[in-house]
Amino acid sequence: MTRLRVLLLKEWRESMRNKMVLFGVILLPVVMVAISIVMLTTGEAESDPIARIVLFNTSLLYFMVLPVIIPLAIAVYSIVGEKEQTTLEPLLATPITDNELFLGKALASVIPAVLINWASFGAFVLLTRLVVGGYLLQTLTAPWLASIFGLSPLLALFSVGVTMIVSSRASDARAAYQFSSLAVLPGLVPLIVYSSMKTLVDLRLVILEGALLIVGCFVVLRFAIRLFKREQILTRWK
Amino acid sequence: MITTTGLTRRFGELMAVDRLDLQVDRGEVFGFLGPNGAGKTTTVRMLASLIAPSDGSATIAGHRLGQDNSALRQRVGVLTETPGLYKRLSAWDNLLFFARLYGVSNPEQQAEKYLKLFELWDRREGLAGSFSKGMRQKLALARALLHEPDVLFLDEPTAALDPEAAKTVRELVESLKSEDRTIFLCTHNLDEADRLCDRIALFKTKLLTVGDPAALKQQMYGRRTVVHLGNPKPGIENELQLPFVTKTEWVNDRLLVSLSDPVAENPALVRRLVQLGADVQFVSELSVSLEDLYLDLMEDNHDAS
Repeated sequence: MTRLRVLLLKEWRESMRNKMVLFGVILLPVVMVAISIVMLTTGEAESDPIARIVLFNTSLLYFMVLPVIIPLAIAVYSIVGEKEQTTLEPLLATPITDNELFLGKALASVIPAVLINWASFGAFVLLTRLVVGGYLLQTLTAPWLASIFGLSPLLALFSVGVTMIVSSRASDARAAYQFSSLAVLPGLVPLIVYSSMKTLVDLRLVILEGALLIVGCFVVLRFAIRLFKREQILTRWK
Repeated sequence: MITTTGLTRRFGELMAVDRLDLQVDRGEVFGFLGPNGAGKTTTVRMLASLIAPSDGSATIAGHRLGQDNSALRQRVGVLTETPGLYKRLSAWDNLLFFARLYGVSNPEQQAEKYLKLFELWDRREGLAGSFSKGMRQKLALARALLHEPDVLFLDEPTAALDPEAAKTVRELVESLKSEDRTIFLCTHNLDEADRLCDRIALFKTKLLTVGDPAALKQQMYGRRTVVHLGNPKPGIENELQLPFVTKTEWVNDRLLVSLSDPVAENPALVRRLVQLGADVQFVSELSVSLEDLYLDLMEDNHDAS
């Protein structure tokens, strides 16, 4: 078993036993999907197909928010949790390399965030088809799918990078969580752009956002990697 | 097993470790004593390749520091000042995680071996967070040994433990002495160092002295015989006229006589005292504690600096 895989499994095992993390990872997507379905089947949307299409597109925006929010809790507790339990030094005393440690911590947050986002989206599409009808899914255009499947890993990566930087400077999980929540706001730019355009999401816009996110991820992760050196962790982290 | 040459670490303007030269042999329990902030933990972190030295070099278990640190870490075990266990994981999961990170070929077998050795086997499914301080320290020690390291760094292994738990940990360290492992023990528990260590180093940013505890005491204070007299006679010391007596003094009606070889010279001393009319009740050797030595050396260092 590679050290990276060992670290990933440990991270997930620990996360599964942390109620705060579970709340962010499981409950939030469930609530968002449930709210979306309720919105599509009640009120104005019940009788007005146009209103229903608009609400359907609004619901799709949730799947641009989830990849930013889900990894927050995992990444915060993964790093601040190590500090609180004073486990960083024994961990760093093992043959694990700085890159393996960084990658393990980052992937432990990004992988579940992306998979859960996609699974939530799948559940939303399925429930929409079952409860409302398949015609709504015709508005699910290629740019939307590209956004949800293509941009969400980048959004998650950006969020994790920012959270890792914030967490390295924080000694309290709640403070790290709150500050990270603010710091990841640039990751929500696609959401803001889309919400102002309603259904007019086109592929050029998605590509442009993808390119910007790649640059953002590069900058953030480069800085985070510099913080993830043994020397830095033991002597500079608070 | 551990050799350092001019090992130095600075943090900005602050000198944490100043040109440390050490040689620790295989199978030796080496005590590294010093006050809080002396640089003991920084030294251990350098030797365990957790932080880089600013200057100097070190070889640990055949690996030169800074050349293949991953391989070096494979050969050393570290017990940090706090146990540092994953509280939401069981004792078993804690050990398996670290065994796999160290690349132990049979992680389950090793985890079982040490859980049984440290009498934690029955609690293997218990969360580490639910353990008492003593149990956590034992589990942390088990973790440090999982990959059978040649060198074990123990940083304050009994600090913050109650006397019973501290005794258990000391017994475990004693049991490790017989396994030919090199143990580098950082402590400011002087009694513990006196009992466990083959040699000690007194350290405060720089090395003050190094040697086996008994030799260091003798080197600093010489050997002194305490004579209890039934009829203390101040002035009798001036009449002794024995060439081997280097110094005498009265402390609480007891005559303290400095000698170089008490075993050979005590009989002549007693005979002479009896000749001079003294009622010799007891003769014993003055024992100097490691604490006396430590405090005197630290005070000297303070005065010098």
